[in-house]
Amino acid sequence: MTAGPSRGRRYVMLLLLLCGFCIVLFRLVTLQVLQAAELTVKADRQHQKTVSFEGARGMVSDRHGKVLAMNVEVPSVFGVPTSLESPSTVARHLSPVLNIRREELDKKLRQDKSFVWLARKVEPEQGRRLQQLSLDGIGVVMEGRRFYPKGPLLAHVLGFSGMDGQGLEGLERLYDSHLHGEKRVTVLQRDALGRTVFPKDVAEQTPTPGHALTLTIDEVIQYIAEKELEEAVTHSRAKSGTIIVMEPQTGAVLAMAVSPRFDPNVVTALTPDRWRNRALTDTYEPGSTMKAMVAAAALEEKVMTPGSMVFGENGQMVVANTTIHDHDKLGWMTFSEVIQKSSNIGAAKTGMALGDQRLYRYLQAFGFGHRTEIDLPGEVSGLLKAPKEWGRRSLASISMGQEVGVTPLQMVSAVATLANGGVMMKPYVVSEVRDQKGRVLKEVLPQVKRRVVSPETARAMTTMLEGVVTNGTGAKAAIPGFRVAGKTGTAQKVDSRTGAYSSTQFVGSFVGYVPAESPRLAMIVVLDEPQGESWGGVVAAPVFRRVGEQVLMYLGVPREDTVKIALAMKDH
Amino acid sequence: MKAITLVAGVLLVFVFVWERVDVVRLGYQIERLKTQKILLERERDQLRVKVSTLAAPERIAKVATERLGLVPPQQGQVLMVHLPGEIPSLTPPPAELIRVARHDSIGRIRQ
Repeated sequence: MTAGPSRGRRYVMLLLLLCGFCIVLFRLVTLQVLQAAELTVKADRQHQKTVSFEGARGMVSDRHGKVLAMNVEVPSVFGVPTSLESPSTVARHLSPVLNIRREELDKKLRQDKSFVWLARKVEPEQGRRLQQLSLDGIGVVMEGRRFYPKGPLLAHVLGFSGMDGQGLEGLERLYDSHLHGEKRVTVLQRDALGRTVFPKDVAEQTPTPGHALTLTIDEVIQYIAEKELEEAVTHSRAKSGTIIVMEPQTGAVLAMAVSPRFDPNVVTALTPDRWRNRALTDTYEPGSTMKAMVAAAALEEKVMTPGSMVFGENGQMVVANTTIHDHDKLGWMTFSEVIQKSSNIGAAKTGMALGDQRLYRYLQAFGFGHRTEIDLPGEVSGLLKAPKEWGRRSLASISMGQEVGVTPLQMVSAVATLANGGVMMKPYVVSEVRDQKGRVLKEVLPQVKRRVVSPETARAMTTMLEGVVTNGTGAKAAIPGFRVAGKTGTAQKVDSRTGAYSSTQFVGSFVGYVPAESPRLAMIVVLDEPQGESWGGVVAAPVFRRVGEQVLMYLGVPREDTVKIALAMKDH
Repeated sequence: MKAITLVAGVLLVFVFVWERVDVVRLGYQIERLKTQKILLERERDQLRVKVSTLAAPERIAKVATERLGLVPPQQGQVLMVHLPGEIPSLTPPPAELIRVARHDSIGRIRQ
């Protein structure tokens, strides 16, 4: 009697189990077969995390490894507006930490977006404070920020990089392909708590940082140049100024100072005018400094010798219906004295003796009218017209440094050629590119451009240029204990309103090298529109002396008298 | 025999499970160390920037002159001292010691 209902129950149970099994099977087939592709994607999305890594931007250091630019990871703050309940409360908490106005933050947090940047690349301390606040809907990620620890030092050469790590100016721009780190997107597995697990290959996840640059610049020499230039610009109330210090034997730039300075750590408020590297982007009429190159050409072509007699026309000479004046009423003088006294008439006569073709050829060989091809962006070629475009006065004008436009870099390279026995070297600022392991990828060696004049001519020019400092217009460039060779220059600027030479706007300069007998430094000092006294010999020559004096001491170059004493002691 | 096979089988399963668990544990450990490495590198870079900022010539000069009252040496106050037998040289390194990339003869006027 009991078997009937019991069997019935058993069938019911079996049926239920079968149904249940069928449901499970159906679900299984749906999940594993029918929806397989779609669900795999969904699961991957939950288990995997795609992370974009970017290697740190390469470091820039001076010739002794002192850091001039480097990347540090700093916090960036973002918000998720869609997940915020009370944007105004969050904005109130954030405002004092980020130093951003509350209304501004509130506006950003009320946007209908799932992600919004609130502040990028803030100070590490701000990041720590934010993490302590642990506000919902506000997150912090680390991003590489470029730091220039020396502030304005060398800013015009270094340039700067943008918010997303791309080089925008200077070396940062030119060497961007080397400096920027590698970008890599990696897929990481994560567990139910969101922690990353099972890194497939640890090394693979770390992107390669950018390459490091070593410069020819010496931080200390750069500082000396910038300090003295700032003082000179302030003191002379000049509009701007430039100093370049170069090693004549190699063309390596030791310092390149431009005033006014700027801090590459804070460039947002500045105009391009401020960060332009005037040492190679701006041209000026060099005036008398050009006479050194004209004289070298005349000596090389044997048109003149240092002892040749030149008549100074008592300070006035008519050329192409215009009168050329000299500062003093000069009579007969030697060719050396023409340079010492910086006679315009003497220089004009030298140019005329050379003739337009030869003068033009030599000025080109000295690098005028062409870029020096230095490894810095924005260099201009200056202005040196071909003889067929010259007017009747051009030969005389160019010989005294008018009607030509040169950059300070071109002028210092030309004079460094004389310092280097007549051989012109290509100027450069980057000496090495290294990878993250310190292996040298690129080594820049000094590069000879050409021989411009013979060693004999260069020697004779050195003696003549020493005369400028011992007995001539460059007396204020003299450094006690060292022989200095150089040339002063004072050029009238062209008044943009009248198109004629201004009687109030000048460019005062001094270019030279020291020690004259075996030069360690070639240097140019240019001051644009100094007020009051504007003679190169008065405003620029003393700056040359001050920089030269300190740099020679820093480099440990012995004074001439100590060498003589040491040699005399050795003889005994 | 059967029992031994069973025990061996169970042991193998345990070893397999233990290995899987250990891989997971090591995976987490690697991740932790990686995070630690990143944090240390970050700190190192921050300290490096700090050192560079503090060692800036401009700052050192300011501290030397303003705080310590030092002045630059005047003419004659610095004399180069050389060891016996060493002759001070005025000449820069000889040309043969300067490595030069290449000689470009374009535009050369005269040797």
